[in-house]
Amino acid sequence: MTSYGMVFDVKRCIGCNACTVACKQENSLPDGVFFTRTLSAETGEFPNVSRTYLPTICNHCEDAPCEKVCPSGATYTRDDGIVMVDGALCIGCGSCAVACPYDMRTQIDETQLTNGLFGDGNLTPFEEQGYSRFECGTFTKCDFCSERVDAGKDPACVATCPTDARVFGDLDNPDSKVSRLIRDRMGRQPLAEKNTRPKVFYID
Amino acid sequence: MTDQTPIQNSMKSGTWKKSSCKMCIHSCNTVVHVTDDGVINKIEGDPDSPANMGRLCPKGNAAIMRHYDPTRFKTPLKRTNPEKGPGIDPMWVPISWEEAMETTVRELKTSIDEDPRKLLPSIADFQKLYLWAWPLVVGNSNYFSTAGSFCGGGYHPMNGFIHSTFAAANDVNYCNYWINNGSGDGFSSHLHTAAQAFHVANARVERNMRVVCVEPRLSIGGAKAEEWVPIKPASDRHFALGLCHVLIEEGLCDYEALRNDTNAPYLVGEDGYFIRDSENKIYVWDGKDNKAKAYDDKSIGEFAIEGSYEVGGKPCKPSFQRFKDILAECTPEQMSEITTVPADTIRRIAREFSEAADIGNTINIDGRTLPLRPAGYNYYRGAHAHKYSTQSNHAFKLVNMLVGSIDMPGGHVGATLDDQKVDNGHVAEGDSGQLLGTPHQLGPHPGFSFPPDNMDLMSYFPLGVHPGHLNVEVWKNPEKFSLDFEPDVMLICHSNPIWSLPGKREDWFDIMRSMRFIVAIDIVPNDTNAFADIILPGHDSLESWNMTMIEPPHTEGMCLRQPMTDPLYDTRSEEDIFNDISEGLGLLEVWNSVLNIVNGFEESPNLKLELDQKHSDKELARRKGLNWNGKDLDWYIEHGHAVTPRRTDKWYKPWDGMRLHFYIEDIIRERDGLKKAMDNAEVPIRNEWHWDDYQPLPTPVLEPVLKDNGEYDLYAITFKDIQLNFGESLSNPWIKDIVYRDPVHTALQLNTKTAAAKGLEHGDLVLVESPYGKIYGRLGLTEGIHPETIGVSNSLSRMMSQNAGVPYGGGHFNDMLPADLENTDACSGQCESVCRVKLTKLDEIPDELKGDGSLYAYSDGKAAQ
Repeated sequence: MTSYGMVFDVKRCIGCNACTVACKQENSLPDGVFFTRTLSAETGEFPNVSRTYLPTICNHCEDAPCEKVCPSGATYTRDDGIVMVDGALCIGCGSCAVACPYDMRTQIDETQLTNGLFGDGNLTPFEEQGYSRFECGTFTKCDFCSERVDAGKDPACVATCPTDARVFGDLDNPDSKVSRLIRDRMGRQPLAEKNTRPKVFYID
Repeated sequence: MTDQTPIQNSMKSGTWKKSSCKMCIHSCNTVVHVTDDGVINKIEGDPDSPANMGRLCPKGNAAIMRHYDPTRFKTPLKRTNPEKGPGIDPMWVPISWEEAMETTVRELKTSIDEDPRKLLPSIADFQKLYLWAWPLVVGNSNYFSTAGSFCGGGYHPMNGFIHSTFAAANDVNYCNYWINNGSGDGFSSHLHTAAQAFHVANARVERNMRVVCVEPRLSIGGAKAEEWVPIKPASDRHFALGLCHVLIEEGLCDYEALRNDTNAPYLVGEDGYFIRDSENKIYVWDGKDNKAKAYDDKSIGEFAIEGSYEVGGKPCKPSFQRFKDILAECTPEQMSEITTVPADTIRRIAREFSEAADIGNTINIDGRTLPLRPAGYNYYRGAHAHKYSTQSNHAFKLVNMLVGSIDMPGGHVGATLDDQKVDNGHVAEGDSGQLLGTPHQLGPHPGFSFPPDNMDLMSYFPLGVHPGHLNVEVWKNPEKFSLDFEPDVMLICHSNPIWSLPGKREDWFDIMRSMRFIVAIDIVPNDTNAFADIILPGHDSLESWNMTMIEPPHTEGMCLRQPMTDPLYDTRSEEDIFNDISEGLGLLEVWNSVLNIVNGFEESPNLKLELDQKHSDKELARRKGLNWNGKDLDWYIEHGHAVTPRRTDKWYKPWDGMRLHFYIEDIIRERDGLKKAMDNAEVPIRNEWHWDDYQPLPTPVLEPVLKDNGEYDLYAITFKDIQLNFGESLSNPWIKDIVYRDPVHTALQLNTKTAAAKGLEHGDLVLVESPYGKIYGRLGLTEGIHPETIGVSNSLSRMMSQNAGVPYGGGHFNDMLPADLENTDACSGQCESVCRVKLTKLDEIPDELKGDGSLYAYSDGKAAQ
């Protein structure tokens, strides 16, 4: 079986947010909607201080709480482990957003689809060709760029990352780069104590 | 997702075409997806490019939002509101191209016919450098921009002296010890950011390359470094001199390289000039025979680099000894007092650097045995953009030269701007076996003139880059500077000088208001083109042709830009516009001659532009591609670029058999030449000229900004990160969506303990005042900044302008900088980029920050999302 996951190499990440913008480009995300974000936090005291950049994304949990609570069946897991949301089935109840310990669900509101990225009430041709994927009031999130993955490509955020801080691959294949990185550099899952079995790992 | 139509943009039905990015001045290779309906919906890095290897930075990822920006200029425009100023609506009305060009040519001609110097050009498209040369067509060498003052006034000439190149970078292929001093190379800025970040990340993770960042603010590079060395602003040269002191005192240098590959042994007389024989050859001291010999005497047993000698009755010393004498006053303890970097840290880093350089080791690359010196001291604007910029640049180069790492595998290597032809080398032998210094990397110096032909006084800077910031001082004091012409027309092309120039904004506005006529070629509204009388709308980078190689650090080769769609609006290429202006002035043939020279077509009869014809952007791109590798446009359209790794014979020690400039005699020769010219012409300001700025070796002289300034107890610096590199980014909604969520870019950065000592808290509103200007802002407290420093992100320096999409801040950092001769390096024209400031807490929000359009209101809204 294939089980897709992602590894974030925190040593490589420079917090540039190329991933964030590539995701917006690929997925036609309206203003203020993110499928991925990079957080930053300062640690230490002057002069022994550093800043850590931490990419975040839907963790595509094996035991996905969002899927468990979804009353309409909109959230489902593909055979390859990608957790999906079918916007046509989503009733916008928000259970998933409450259940997700990672705050990775976003509800699309009408103004986001009508104000336009430039905030002038008009949509650019780019938005015109992209926003039909969103249903007003429904919840959405990262799907690992499942269509790209089906075509054998990396998710957009991975493809563009200037420092290779994001690696995508098959966790079930012990020889895949993600498996090797997790093994060799002691990959850790975010909020592992929540027992959602995230398929996203951090190494540093 | 029940239907089968793809929802991800790159998977939709359409076509991919290769091109190159222009969201900063560089040119990462791209692939662009256009849907069957003709919409550009995805841009990615070209995976076949050895430069960016499929990667793009956030700006490159955001190019679509520039293309579809609704504020783009859609037709030629004419202003109807005679009142000009920041935030004042020009009340544009559309006009025809015929009317726009007729007006433009008529108004330019009126002034140029009277005196060509009356034109102030501000042409700054770095990917079409040949456009910069257009003013030559009318015999004009004015420059109303910031290329020198805010890029590399001292940097580019010094690279020209040391490497005979425009830029420089540490060699990521082999480097193991990477010092970044005031530079974001490999992390957040400078050369081809996405490409360099990829290679540097690999070196850090796979080779454990150690990174040491020396800078006042913990930048991205500092955050990723093994060691952040906080340093007081404007004291970087002193840190470098401290390293040099330790390297020499402890015998940690590459003495073989110094003796054989540099002019360190060349004998210097007391007047600063080399001692020469009757054939004008420079003397060295043979330590074996104990006598002076010409540098190329085959009988020399040992090149002495230390000691005091006498040749022909003239006392002299090897240039290395001259530097050693200077360094006697540069102990780590002395430099620590200035930099605040502990002396032990300076000592340790010098030792680590030398150890990492692995002096004596060699490597075989493509059949050549070369020194392997995997230690590089890289730097950029934060470190060198100070009053004594030439000396600072030189000091940083000497750290590298002492361990033999200049242009060596793993070391600090010169990067050419544009080789034009794949087989073009960039080095030549100069005087007495030395590498020919090429300080004028952007074109020949206009030459001395009095009264000055240039309002920025470029004619008085024989070694510099145009000091555009001086335009304001000269304009305000024409009699003092003997200016005998009054500029009254301005030609702007992709340049925003009143956003980027240092000095008081109001002064720059006054210059703009004084113009009889301003024409601007541009894509979106900005601060400067708001003052234009006519707008000539240009194609954007997804609608136009270009071919460029633009200072890539580790690769070389031409990069194609091609149109992805027909132009969205009634726009034209810059080439069409300049061709028509030239024709209108009766100077088309002259323009084609200039293009032939600057593009290197002159030497190739088959590429030479026909003088009586107008050549399009596409045709220029075609000929530039042919010039590079003989491939025609169809080849480039298929491949996108001719990028390859830098050829090792050009990248590593291309000057084999010549000697590097340890000591730069040309600097004092040019000083004396200028002195003589000024004396002969009786230039009134010659006695005010800072002749001491011309030094053949760096000294520990204090930057004026470091001298006690009473109540101004802090240093203010400004910075950019990868999201804000080079040109304006903050009208782009995707960039805004990341920048205004980052606390580094939404508040003034102040050290936590400094704030506590002043009774200030996170979020306080403050007035920041320098002796020259002021800004307002909100404090963001951090441990990641030197306690004597306040850091001002470039994102905060936005004025109210005609582009309402750009949130305005509480003034402009550059207002706090002096744009005067006093704070300008008389050698290079570089101006000071740091200022002294004091803080005052405010109880009320100043008017500048009120309103929904302010960046604070905007970023608070973002944070609440």
